[in-house]
Amino acid sequence: MQATLTIKLARVAIVIAIFALWEVLSRTGLVNSRLLPPASDTLATLADLLQRASVQNDLMVTASEVLAAFALAVPFGALIGFLLAENRYFADVAKPLLFFAFSIPKSIFLPMFILVFGVGFAQKVGFGFFSTIFIVIMSTTTAVESVKVEHLTVARSYGATRAQTAFRVYLPSMLPVLLEALRISMIFNLTGVILAEMYASRDGIGHQIATWGENFQMKQLLAGVVMVAAIAMTFNELIRWVETRCSHWRT
Amino acid sequence: MRAKTLRHLIVVGLIVLWELLPRAGLIPELFLPSLSSTLLAGWNEAAEYGHALAVTLYEVAVSMAFACGGGILLGAIVGSLPRPRLLIMPMVSSLYAVPLVILYPVFTVWLGIGSESKIAFASIYGFLPTMLATAAGIQTIDPQLLLAARSMGATLNQRLVRVIIPAAIPTVLSGLRVGGALVIVGVVVSEMLISSAGIGYLISRYRTILDSPHVFAGVLLVLFMAIAFNTAIRWIERKAAIWQTGMRAGQNAADEIGSGAMQPAT
Amino acid sequence: MQPLANVTPLKPPPRAGAIEVRNVGQVFRTRSQDVVALEDVSLDIKPGRFVVLVGPSGCGKSTLLMMMAGLRAQTSGTITINGAPIPQPDPDRVGVVFQEPSLFPWLTAEDNVEFPLALRGVAKAERRDKAQDMLKLVGLDGFGRRHPHELSGGMKQRVSIARGLVQDPPVLLMDEPFAALDEQTRMTMGDELLRIWATTGKTVVFVTHSLTEAVYLADEVIVMSPRPGRIVDHLQVPLPRPRTYEMLSGDAFGALRDRIWRHIRKSA
Repeated sequence: MQATLTIKLARVAIVIAIFALWEVLSRTGLVNSRLLPPASDTLATLADLLQRASVQNDLMVTASEVLAAFALAVPFGALIGFLLAENRYFADVAKPLLFFAFSIPKSIFLPMFILVFGVGFAQKVGFGFFSTIFIVIMSTTTAVESVKVEHLTVARSYGATRAQTAFRVYLPSMLPVLLEALRISMIFNLTGVILAEMYASRDGIGHQIATWGENFQMKQLLAGVVMVAAIAMTFNELIRWVETRCSHWRT
Repeated sequence: MRAKTLRHLIVVGLIVLWELLPRAGLIPELFLPSLSSTLLAGWNEAAEYGHALAVTLYEVAVSMAFACGGGILLGAIVGSLPRPRLLIMPMVSSLYAVPLVILYPVFTVWLGIGSESKIAFASIYGFLPTMLATAAGIQTIDPQLLLAARSMGATLNQRLVRVIIPAAIPTVLSGLRVGGALVIVGVVVSEMLISSAGIGYLISRYRTILDSPHVFAGVLLVLFMAIAFNTAIRWIERKAAIWQTGMRAGQNAADEIGSGAMQPAT
Repeated sequence: MQPLANVTPLKPPPRAGAIEVRNVGQVFRTRSQDVVALEDVSLDIKPGRFVVLVGPSGCGKSTLLMMMAGLRAQTSGTITINGAPIPQPDPDRVGVVFQEPSLFPWLTAEDNVEFPLALRGVAKAERRDKAQDMLKLVGLDGFGRRHPHELSGGMKQRVSIARGLVQDPPVLLMDEPFAALDEQTRMTMGDELLRIWATTGKTVVFVTHSLTEAVYLADEVIVMSPRPGRIVDHLQVPLPRPRTYEMLSGDAFGALRDRIWRHIRKSA
């Protein structure tokens, strides 16, 4: 989406206004500052937390779980998605089942992962994988189907080899859709892993946030929320930026 | 073999395996209790599950009113005014990337562990997709229809009631379907995390004492709830299918994934 | 209650409108420059005439039509219909048919035709009667209960014409109404439109890209040129009515079409 400078400035202004409102509400005592510590205190706490070894460790744990789940779910899901798009019979059999699996809430199965894997790395990665795989399958199918038949016909009529078709037609037409898929899968993945950490875990940033909540440590809790939100949004915007870079491929 | 037959066989096969594998001892009952023992567990504690279901349904109903009411209202405003749309929409979809579940501890500190914190969390959880869908629905209305209505002398009110609202209905419905599903998930998940009542609470309590059949009975109950809701809205959507033709054909691939993103996350 | 409901009323005289366009100009202001879409356009259209506006893209013919419909305001000059200016859409004086049929997909064909009457709060029974008459007029008797997606492109455009005529406006404005149809349907629709026009006696202003369509349909053809949009020729079409397919290959027809084509080639 095209955005002029004014609009970008207005967006920054809105974010600043929200933080300012937060600060004012808390400082003036309109809201109990034990329930809502001032924004400045929270940000100071955030800076402090980022220095702590335990928090750094938690972030590392979460990051490794997210990456592991992602590394498992993407190739696996992409393979199934590709088969679905290319094999008619397989698609007819499996698509309604997958659509069904896709539409049911995944988080209620979280307790089963604990029953099977116990509490630990495997349970969180497993659940992250489970939360992500369906969206990867769906998006891969969409990506393959977004390749235009006319483009394939043109390539074939000029005698393109299979490899040439793959690299010169499939890949460039699929790239924008794949990037979008990557972005959305990551959202699902992160949500899955953090929920798993909050539900039952010994480490990870989700676990830490849940603990701060249980102990009524509002400053740390809000700092944690801001931290995770900032990380998620940064990643999201990063992929979107790449997306707009290659958006001219999409017709 | 016809695809449909094979698919039905797979479904029947999975159900049979669910019963046989745990019975034969090939899968420990702790991991996967057999179908019959799950149903039996649910049946034996029917009163307890029934009470929990009432609590959960109450929270779902209130949250849905907040999430869908607010989402449709704000989505309509943002969708129909170009300036706020350009300003806010990218921010909202950026917010969408945040795992909202981290807000739940904040709500428990503020509102306690009763129904209020669940309702607050689930309302916010279901709000975003409903709003995004409604805004998108208003935007995809064919401008030609509005021009035609204007040429017939339709007033602003008439254009809203007779053109904009009916034309936006299908997208709003799919927003409701996704938003509503997220509300159910939001309530159950928050009950699972910290609470003292509801189906999510039951699931978590039985999980801590490793009573798998009762955990599965609760999970099944939530599944039925989600599926029933989904089926009901889809039925209404089909009834309103003729509306669909009023939309401009959008960029399909992007939209499909976009709407995929609005499916129940976790 | 109508006390005379069972008495056949006298056929009312056809309602036709006069259109006067006086020194109309339109300037679009963009960020970098002003674009003159129309410059000093003047035009007199007598009641009951079939007038066609032709010209290349960007000559402002559709813009002019939208001004006659009251859907767009001109920068300078005046437009009157039956002596009164038209600052906003007035369905009592002007019916509009667009290139896209613009039917409401959630309404049946007859509900679509009734739509303008429903906006004015006309009673259901009267609405239904008028819609039936209009559907009969455009040759869609018996299709009233269908939804737009169950109708072909030509049928949709017929419904759209019926909707434009349902309030019996003296003027019918048509913005490239057949441009999206295939050649054969287009020919048939042209004949249908001439028949409807002959029956109702309306003043019709019709915008098109097609020179053949222009000459075939019109009493008068207005040729426009772009940058800035203005009128470069105003032809009378002396061909007799009813128009027939054979005329298309006649010399008179060819001469008229050539004359328009020379204007357009010059401005392109």
